[in-house]
Amino acid sequence: MPRLSFLRAVPRSFIDPLVAFVVLAVIWEKAVDLLGIKRYLLPPLSQILATAWKNIDVLLRESAITGWEVVLGYVAAVAGGVALGLAIFALPVFRRTCYPFIVIFQGLPKIALAPLLVIWFGYGTSSKVLMAFLFAFFPVVISTMGGLAGTPVHLIEHFRAIGASPWNTFRRLRVPSALPSIMDGCRTAMPLAVIGAIAGEFVGSEKGLGNLVLLANANARTDLLFAALLAISVLVGVLYLLIELIARRIWWRGL
Amino acid sequence: MTPGSPGAEEQPVADRASAISTKNASKTFEGGTVALEKVSFEVARSQFVSILGPSGCGKSTLLRMVGGLIPADAGGEVRVLGQLQRSPSSDVGIVFQTHNMLPWITVEANIRLAAEMRGLSTSEIAERTRRILDVLKLTPYRSLFPHQLSGGMRQRAAFGQILILRPQILLLDEPFGALDALTRDQLNVELLRLWEEGKQTVILITHSIPEAVFLSDRILVMSDRPGRIIADIAIDFPRPRDPQHTRAFPEFTEHVLTLNHMMGVH
Repeated sequence: MPRLSFLRAVPRSFIDPLVAFVVLAVIWEKAVDLLGIKRYLLPPLSQILATAWKNIDVLLRESAITGWEVVLGYVAAVAGGVALGLAIFALPVFRRTCYPFIVIFQGLPKIALAPLLVIWFGYGTSSKVLMAFLFAFFPVVISTMGGLAGTPVHLIEHFRAIGASPWNTFRRLRVPSALPSIMDGCRTAMPLAVIGAIAGEFVGSEKGLGNLVLLANANARTDLLFAALLAISVLVGVLYLLIELIARRIWWRGL
Repeated sequence: MTPGSPGAEEQPVADRASAISTKNASKTFEGGTVALEKVSFEVARSQFVSILGPSGCGKSTLLRMVGGLIPADAGGEVRVLGQLQRSPSSDVGIVFQTHNMLPWITVEANIRLAAEMRGLSTSEIAERTRRILDVLKLTPYRSLFPHQLSGGMRQRAAFGQILILRPQILLLDEPFGALDALTRDQLNVELLRLWEEGKQTVILITHSIPEAVFLSDRILVMSDRPGRIIADIAIDFPRPRDPQHTRAFPEFTEHVLTLNHMMGVH
């Protein structure tokens, strides 16, 4: 295929998903017409994109609100989760007192806490930040503990043999060797934080993408609902990409 | 030593004592497994001693005891340079079969690590690191990360990690066990040159009988668990040794065959 030779410069890892996406989009677009699906049930993709474009300022504004809630909750979850993971690992008293609560709390469906948080913290940003925090917190704690406990035994012995102090062993061995695992926890936590914030907005809010989904639903604007969903996916995608970029700095997994 | 014997005054006490001595050193692990039973031996300064023994006979346990990583059972004692061994000291360097390089820092940073942990001055660390990299021919690779090195180079760097502290005693726990035969022979020769230069006291644990015969002044053979020393064989080929000449001695083959027999290879 000489005419397509220019494509060789573009990596397959980029082309393949793009092709799959275009094929799916075409099927969606045509299927809605061919199968006679009612537009208020499933609008064709073109209509969703048109609606999204027309309402781009609304989508951007609501995304910024939800995004801010997510970022605040996520950063707090990572900071708090790593701190608690360290404390549980380093201090036996924390392991005995906090850890059982964490396990129990982890099993609790956190979405059930949303109404309570709205009662306590109101319809504004803080209840959503707390929801994002609650959803993202536990994977970070667990992965921090797991990572710290997983330091290779032979390296710990080596540090003992070269007379390293406990603090140096912690700083120069345990923490770097735990980082890949902690990073995994941070990766898992990011989409969870978005779920938390949206769930919080569902339960009680005046703003945000979750609120927009509810509004669109109430007005039978399925196209706007889809546009809001699209905005949520873009938001998750962008935030996840940021985490991926940071994660690249920790490259020594499995070495 | 009787008072007034010649030379008694000039010699410092530590020099007269053997580098390593164990007396009735036993080790029983939790659960009652007896790994070592009343092991007693002495190693003179600058002696190169190898320990041979079947897998699981407690060779590594013995080495860890000498290195101060684990204590001997009550009733036995381990002395290093005349001192009771309680915790790892910078006089003793241990090299293990699995290299102990940290994957997230460069070869050079790995080599510096022990010196930093022992609190040497910055200029001293820089100078020693430069020398070690040079001696081990690692200077061109110093900015690489451990996973970018070949197995042989990685093990050489592992020696650098220990030699930086200039230990008088080297405890080597199958340091060449994971290498191919050719690299192993090469590193044997390099180890020999290093030792001829530094005259450290060496205990080498190995499974290779020819390696032990080629390198050592003396070979200790250990029994199956619980480990005891069942033979103490002097190897007195002239030094400096080299692969061609030393291995060509008829006694070389004799030693290898005797040891083979002792280790149950018929």
